[in-house]
Amino acid sequence: MDPSQTVREGLLQLLPRLRRLTRALAGQATDADDLVQIVLERALARAAQWRPDAALDKWVFAIARNAWRDELRTRGRSQNLFAPEEAGATAADGASAPAQTLDLATAMTTLPPDHREVVALVLVEGLSYSEAAMLLKVPVGTVTSRLARARATLQAHLGKDT
Amino acid sequence: MKPIDDDTLQAYADGELDAAATARIDAALAHDEILARRVRQARALRTQLQAAFDPVLDEPVPAHLSARLLPAFPPATDAAAVRPMHAARRGFASARQRATRRWWLPGAAIAASVALLAMALWWKQDDELVRMHDGQRFAAGALAQALDQGLASRPNPHASITIGLSFRSNDGSICRTFVERTRPAMAGLACHASGGWSLAALDAAEKPEGGQWQQAASSMPAAVQAAVDARIKGQAFDARQERAARDGGWR
Repeated sequence: MDPSQTVREGLLQLLPRLRRLTRALAGQATDADDLVQIVLERALARAAQWRPDAALDKWVFAIARNAWRDELRTRGRSQNLFAPEEAGATAADGASAPAQTLDLATAMTTLPPDHREVVALVLVEGLSYSEAAMLLKVPVGTVTSRLARARATLQAHLGKDT
Repeated sequence: MKPIDDDTLQAYADGELDAAATARIDAALAHDEILARRVRQARALRTQLQAAFDPVLDEPVPAHLSARLLPAFPPATDAAAVRPMHAARRGFASARQRATRRWWLPGAAIAASVALLAMALWWKQDDELVRMHDGQRFAAGALAQALDQGLASRPNPHASITIGLSFRSNDGSICRTFVERTRPAMAGLACHASGGWSLAALDAAEKPEGGQWQQAASSMPAAVQAAVDARIKGQAFDARQERAARDGGWR
């Protein structure tokens, strides 16, 4: 079977998980599916670069994460797609009543991108720290510390950090 | 004993520590309720995140996303599959050529019907995908099953039959287009009737440009497209409507 055929069939199987990952990253369902569309195009265009000994899901997730980062850059901060890191930290520290009513999916959108992507990959998609580190091209210690800070922020939003 | 930092405690909660480190935390947790609670919180957050995002897995995938990934036409390398395909195409083409030489239309229509019937009968012999009942063609076997169960929004890349459009026809029945890819490729339109899926159109399907079967009606053979155009009322179903129609037994 030619590689692009393998990639195409693999992508079809991965679509539900890819939609879950992009939903965790992008927040809005419509944004997430727009992102999926971009990921599919990129993955199909680069199908020849995929080596069958590499896990297709990690390869596709890396494309998804990079496409999401590109989208954030393109849209810029003006649209307030995500809160800057400082704002996220402030929200966590001063968890006020309205913040506690946010549900988890909404709370995710307040995380800075560095934090949101580790939560999405490790806690939502179930990658190990080392798999996430490899995908993000950062040391495992960085994944660990970002995840710990993201957890603290989310728990503050949920009002559970008592 | 060294104090346990946040990162280590979290790694413990996520099952990321080796056996020795895990044993050390186990021992510490046994007599430290505050630490134990932090571990429970870390795990609870993972569970809550899964509860928040896992339902996405069960949502129907929008058709425009899955359509982009429809499997390519499989190369016909099997000699047994190639021969009858060429034979069927040749027979069909020559019938059409004869028809165009004639100037009276009914003759052309009859020639085309005969060729189509021959093709349907050949197809029927092969795998019983078509059955005749009261002079009408109905879907049978795997084709009937695909029409009953298949969703364009949830395509199965390993199935030989791909469902395309589903829509409500002007006589009130639900109709669906399909492509059968593995034999002499066929495309058709089936409408749900009391006796099953009645085949309103059936024609040889060519491998489309680019080598991919699209779900768009544009890649359908002209005869099938014409049958769709003659019947479609309003818009084709989206993923939600398609699923609802299936759950409602295509009535």
